[in-house]
Amino acid sequence: MATITKSGIGHITQVIGSTFDVEFEEDQLPAIYNAVKVVSEHKGVKINLTGEVQQQLGGGRVRCVALGSTDGLIRGQECVDTGEPVTVPVGEATLGRVFNVIGEAVDGRGEVKVDEHWPIHRNAPPLDTLSTKTELFETGIKVIDLLTPFVRGGKAGLFGGAGLGKTVILTELIARIASAHGGYSVFAGVGERTREGTDLWLEMQDAKIGDTGRSVIDQTCMVFGQMNEPPGARLRVALSALTMAEYFRDKTGADTLLFVDNIFRFSQAGSEVSALLGRMPSAVGYQPTLASEMGALQERIASTDNGAITSVQAVYVPADDPTDPAPATAFGQLDAFIYLERSISEKGIYPAVDPLASSSRILDPQYVGERHFNCARRVQMILQRYRELQDIIAILGVDELPEEDKLVVLRARRIERFLSQPFLVAEVFTGKPGEITPLADTIRSFEEICDGKWDHLPEDAFMYVGAIEQAEEQWKKSKE
Amino acid sequence: MANPRELDKRRKSIRNMRRITRTMELIATARFKKAMDRAAAATAYTDRITKLVADLTQAGLEVSHPLLEPRDATGHAKLLVLTGNRGFCGGFNSSLLRAGLSRWQELADQVPECSLEVSGKKGIAGFTFRDQSIAQEFTHFEDKPAFGEVEVIADRYLNDYTSGNLDRLDLVYMKYESISRQSVAVETLLPLGALVDDAGNEAGAETSTDRGTSSTLQYEFLPSPESILEEVVPTSFKVKLFKCFLDSAVSEQIARMIAMKAATENAGELIKGLSMQYNRARQGRITSELMDLIGGVEALK
Repeated sequence: MATITKSGIGHITQVIGSTFDVEFEEDQLPAIYNAVKVVSEHKGVKINLTGEVQQQLGGGRVRCVALGSTDGLIRGQECVDTGEPVTVPVGEATLGRVFNVIGEAVDGRGEVKVDEHWPIHRNAPPLDTLSTKTELFETGIKVIDLLTPFVRGGKAGLFGGAGLGKTVILTELIARIASAHGGYSVFAGVGERTREGTDLWLEMQDAKIGDTGRSVIDQTCMVFGQMNEPPGARLRVALSALTMAEYFRDKTGADTLLFVDNIFRFSQAGSEVSALLGRMPSAVGYQPTLASEMGALQERIASTDNGAITSVQAVYVPADDPTDPAPATAFGQLDAFIYLERSISEKGIYPAVDPLASSSRILDPQYVGERHFNCARRVQMILQRYRELQDIIAILGVDELPEEDKLVVLRARRIERFLSQPFLVAEVFTGKPGEITPLADTIRSFEEICDGKWDHLPEDAFMYVGAIEQAEEQWKKSKE
Repeated sequence: MANPRELDKRRKSIRNMRRITRTMELIATARFKKAMDRAAAATAYTDRITKLVADLTQAGLEVSHPLLEPRDATGHAKLLVLTGNRGFCGGFNSSLLRAGLSRWQELADQVPECSLEVSGKKGIAGFTFRDQSIAQEFTHFEDKPAFGEVEVIADRYLNDYTSGNLDRLDLVYMKYESISRQSVAVETLLPLGALVDDAGNEAGAETSTDRGTSSTLQYEFLPSPESILEEVVPTSFKVKLFKCFLDSAVSEQIARMIAMKAATENAGELIKGLSMQYNRARQGRITSELMDLIGGVEALK
């Protein structure tokens, strides 16, 4: 897609919200996705705006999406075709830095000196170079390791409505994975709170990688296009971050982590500019190109024989409705699918992962082994039965259930609570230090609960502990 | 946004449940009235006979009867648990089961040979589920236990007791105190000693005002005190046991009445909530479809 055309100078003819039209000479028309720049100072208003060509309207006119604010833009202003798409700096020098969508450092530490700039529009790796390895990626979070195991070099999505803790889980994963991870990490902040981005940046400076004494930030680069940015920036920031990650994968061959918070904002930004570009809205007002935009992004997040990109993405679910086109489109792209449920967070159980709606491609005896698979299925079956009984319990009470079902309810309630876990990053809220539970302990603990070995412990003992022995300890402590 | 059709399906099934629970509430009310009348009728007789025994003891008579003597060593014990044949009565069966189980454990710890007898399908299922072997099961007691049926059981206990095969009989049942109060009672029926003491105290308290007259009553026994006691003491045991069965039946109906009333109300609440969700989901769908249409039309202009 990166086409170099002869640079030309045009003039702005129309500004509509965050899109604008530029008229060029017929023979100097910029190609689609080319970046155009408006640099001027008019009556003391400084403008330094980059736009991206989206449509050629005929008569030498092109329609562009602004990647910055269009405030102060005036008809007739000069607009320069850069002759290539937006490019971002890539390489080791980007580590430890914070960028915006067009690759400018925004952390106030001066310019980034790199040898290479890569255009943000690239092709997905070809079919024959894709890696076919499937390997489990341990996180130390019980519910994730047991029910929705991550794939090394795969993609995982955190789906959830507003305020269910998507960002918290994502930061937790960064704290767990990135700090134990030897390779590089790239974080893309797409349309979320700026404050969260700053918090994360500061936290990463404090956090150390293992016992090497180096900060996590030294192995990480961050790209932000947060809520305050115009839709164009939010639409392209994920691509900018992805391009930097791709460099690490292709050139260094290192295992690279890509965190995106929040991929829904990408679709949302697309729908914001779609109507301005004159496309007819499709279902629920989304852009008709929703699926292809998502596909173009997600297909690039892939592991090749060269190196792997393991990606964790938060996906906002509008109005808690997972059938909404935006999360539904993202859903199909992922290996592991974690759905956060409001009714669980209302019980005070965090992470509020819905154990029945969440799933993973590799929860299969072929990949995780018979024992893990059977344990996960048993847990799900008990919880499924409990959910089926819920209406009866609501109407008649637990006493009316047959003895077998009473036992199911008893264990299900314990399992439900045992799926909670204290987080490293949530220590201030829970007052408990974070727990990293090895997968073997997780499986053994759940097996023992299913077998009824811990029926004698009260439900509260199962809240916010690591392995099952800690539940027993907690119970003994509370009795004293 | 939830699926309206799914919500409607759930609402329908809960409506059906509510219809059932409401019917059961009405049936339980009717049965409770009948059982109540029978219990009240039996109460008069039971009271009279316990009072008689009390009077006899107060008459300064040397009361001696094998059923009244506590055994020195308890070698054989029996536990009888009265539960219901049917569910849908709230905590009735489960609280009986809980009390029964704890007493059963106690007995098993103290007494070398214990046997368990359970009346009611729910109790039988509960004990079987916990791997307790039941020596005798009764499922023929519904809401109208007949004296004849209870007498058969009582006779068997009496025979066992006198022949030395039984040293202690415990009973777990739901005691009826008033319409708003029933409580789980764990009582020792045999040896009868305890019963007579209780009855004596009760009767004494009741008649404290005219104690002067009653305590000075002189009894003449014909043909002999022994033969009278021979008749009265076993009867008092049977009547007592029968009363427990009646109490249990009444309590079960009350429990069912209350449980079904609550269930009907709960179902109503659920339906209310689901209706709200359903309407909202339906309206949401319509709105979003309209929006799509209008949006499309606008875009085509």
